[in-house]
Amino acid sequence: MIEELHLFGIYMPAALVWASIAGLLAYWLRNLLQHIPHYELLWHPGVLELALFALLWWGLTLLADNFLPRAWVS
Amino acid sequence: MIRRHEILRTCITAVVIGIVLAAIYALWLRYQVEPLTRDGKVRADLVPIAADVSGLITEVRIHDDEVVRKGQILLVIDRPRYRLALDQAEANLATQRVVLAQAMREDRRNQAMPELLAAEVIEQGHARVESLRTALGQAVAARDLARLNLERTYVRAPVDGTVSNMTLQPGIYLNAGKPAVALVYDHSLRVEGYFEETKLPAVHVGDPASVYLMGVADEIRGHVESIAAGVEDRERGGGDAQLANVNPSFTWVRLAQRIPVRIAIDYLPPNARLIPGQTATVVIHDRPGNKPVHRSLPW
Repeated sequence: MIEELHLFGIYMPAALVWASIAGLLAYWLRNLLQHIPHYELLWHPGVLELALFALLWWGLTLLADNFLPRAWVS
Repeated sequence: MIRRHEILRTCITAVVIGIVLAAIYALWLRYQVEPLTRDGKVRADLVPIAADVSGLITEVRIHDDEVVRKGQILLVIDRPRYRLALDQAEANLATQRVVLAQAMREDRRNQAMPELLAAEVIEQGHARVESLRTALGQAVAARDLARLNLERTYVRAPVDGTVSNMTLQPGIYLNAGKPAVALVYDHSLRVEGYFEETKLPAVHVGDPASVYLMGVADEIRGHVESIAAGVEDRERGGGDAQLANVNPSFTWVRLAQRIPVRIAIDYLPPNARLIPGQTATVVIHDRPGNKPVHRSLPW
């Protein structure tokens, strides 16, 4: 499990980094979401964006824990 | 038609909210419940070495960061002085022997002619022999003590270890009992992870553990050796036989205490080096057969 990332001499909690990346990705994917058909079926589009962010954060964490070589980040 | 549309909308929104909650739950498990901590330290017992006799250091036989074996001589303290003390004690002993031998001869002679001497004189001579015999015993003990002191001028390593932060030079005066050299006891090297108390239910003695040192990618394997029996209660002062002094303020926002968990090292990758004080991440793995502990809801 990757708990800590080494970025230019600073060790940060992995959660923070994955959340930042997930946030950026979710922001970028928002535009694509708005083009899916029946987007108007959603009551609150913000909820979908929140779900996207949470899923991305969780997915990134899972991917990193299982596939990211520790030598790259420690 | 409008009605169906609204039902569909509600359903989709509910599903999306469900997804959000599920992802948050998974994230919570991963980051808050799994027993792992970034707050671990490599530790070892430190053996402070003090001289048993005072005196000038005449010889320093170690250098900083040297690995020493148990019994190896580290420092030599003023042997000439303690040799002189031994000589003196031996001379004293010899004197006592001579005096005792003379007194014994006199006593033997006195006892051979009781008709010529007063009983008091014979008794006095006998008592003198006895007291000189005890004095001889004292002199023997003083000689043995001087010999012991001379032996103790060699300051030896009590355990296998590594000398650390050694700055002694010949000519420095050492006081008996004052620590002079710190030895890191190599066999006591271990990792201690400070786990939040909320994660402790998932930690059991014997659980396998992975340790990652800061900047080292290779995994160090170990197992949970023990869990600290207690930590200081910071809300409470006052010593034994005093009334409890409990902090009157109680914060709204609280943080979990951290409890030291001791990890014994089973496998160290080649070329990896454990230095007490290094930072480590400790991950504890579940072992089949561990009894699950009920946590507060919903996890």
